Amino acid sequence: MIERWALVSGLKGDLETYELIQRDLRKIPGDKTLFVLGDMIGPDRNCNRLLNRLINPISSDLKPQCIYGWWEEQLLAESGYRGNQKAEALRINGGEQVVNSLLSAVDKAYLSWLASLEFGFVELDCGLIHGSSRDVGDELSMTTPPLTFLDRLTRLNVNRLFTARSTHQFYWELTEAIVESDVMDLSGNRKQQQKIPKKIVIGIGAGKNYTLYDVGSDNTQFLQAGYQSKKGVKGFA
Amino acid sequence: MNQAVISCLHANLPALEAVLNDIEYLGIQNITCLGDLVGYGPQPNEVVELIREKGIQTCQGCWDEDIIDGLDACDCSYPSQLAEKRGHFAHQWTTDKLTNENKEFLASLPTSIRKDKCLFVHGSPNSQHEYLLPDMDAFAALERVEMSGAETLFCGHTHQPYIRELTNGSISFRIQNASSKGIQEQQGMDLPMRRIVNAGSVGEPRHGGIKATYVVYNDNTCEVEIREVSYDIERTCKSIIESGLPPIFAWRLINGFEFAEQAEDASHVCER
Repeated sequence: MIERWALVSGLKGDLETYELIQRDLRKIPGDKTLFVLGDMIGPDRNCNRLLNRLINPISSDLKPQCIYGWWEEQLLAESGYRGNQKAEALRINGGEQVVNSLLSAVDKAYLSWLASLEFGFVELDCGLIHGSSRDVGDELSMTTPPLTFLDRLTRLNVNRLFTARSTHQFYWELTEAIVESDVMDLSGNRKQQQKIPKKIVIGIGAGKNYTLYDVGSDNTQFLQAGYQSKKGVKGFA
Repeated sequence: MNQAVISCLHANLPALEAVLNDIEYLGIQNITCLGDLVGYGPQPNEVVELIREKGIQTCQGCWDEDIIDGLDACDCSYPSQLAEKRGHFAHQWTTDKLTNENKEFLASLPTSIRKDKCLFVHGSPNSQHEYLLPDMDAFAALERVEMSGAETLFCGHTHQPYIRELTNGSISFRIQNASSKGIQEQQGMDLPMRRIVNAGSVGEPRHGGIKATYVVYNDNTCEVEIREVSYDIERTCKSIIESGLPPIFAWRLINGFEFAEQAEDASHVCER
């Protein structure tokens, strides 16, 4: 049976969008796994209903596998779950008011669940992460330098990297990379040529924009919640 | 013009004196130090004061940072729990010995120094704790140099001196976004030639030998020479024993034990 992964991020408390995605996924045949790559919470709405649904799925839901994202990291830092760190990145970007909005958007009862979430998943030869292997806030997008993509793939030792932080849907495929290395030390010289075969970085989108990945065929489809039943999906191998 | 780059002094005064003598013998006046002035060795104040007295431009190493900010590395920095215990003991010993004035000096050090197309750091441009080993993934190594905006990156931290040139690189890729309707744009780019120079270690060599190491760089010809310098190891070892530091610190200096205290996964970047 072909397995597909549904990759979702940036819901920021939007239960209605999550329900739309679940409805979409019910229509797709075959084995499916749902990954929620962080940013389940945000400062703009009460997130408790969505969090409750993620923790306690209803019977028709595809059970979600969740990791934490940038917004969760800010909330956990501000709530004392990251040692002496506070939500400084959010404070700098949004100010004190946004920090307070975030604190009031999530009931404290959910903090221990959020704190138990992993930084990322490695499934088969694929890395599933909110930002990158470097940092949860690392924004990979279509304009990211190729060497940076290679570095992030190398750090996780994976051939496919699914990322969400930029909120964009994109597909970057390395077709070939080559470099010569010449090391001289006290024991002499050694030359080496390093080649890297096909590797891919996929931006999965955010909110209503999500991604379906076919593990067997390596095919990626960019979807919009509630939309693919009306029009053809955008996909490529 | 020749310039000298030294690193990882580790409170070993006889080694530092010998290296500075060698640099003076070569007639070099421009010296850059890549940090780790203290840690493991018995004379932290004397080493810091000699660097200050000579006015040597210095960036902050991981030991210098940890003395100021508290231990910042996780246990990934050590190959065993015993080594970690010894490292923590040396940290506390050094913290107790260092004068406030010398601590303030360490706190004032920058994490990097830029001179034209050269960048000087302790570990990597990302972190004082990251090891750039000579045989690490070539593309990751190239990324460290290129993303820092330098052509040559000088680093230390591994205690193994080397020069690594990364040349004739290219990347081909295709890219598509959700709105490009199946059209994939094929692109290619040549990668620039970049170089990493590791200055080795003055006070705690881990290249298999017992001599202090440093590098001489000619900024006209771009040639780099790795220098090995003999020093009075017994003087340092005697001082280690007398000061009450773990005797293994003396043993590994006198035996030139390769890769002593090096973690198994040295490419790991501590996130703490």
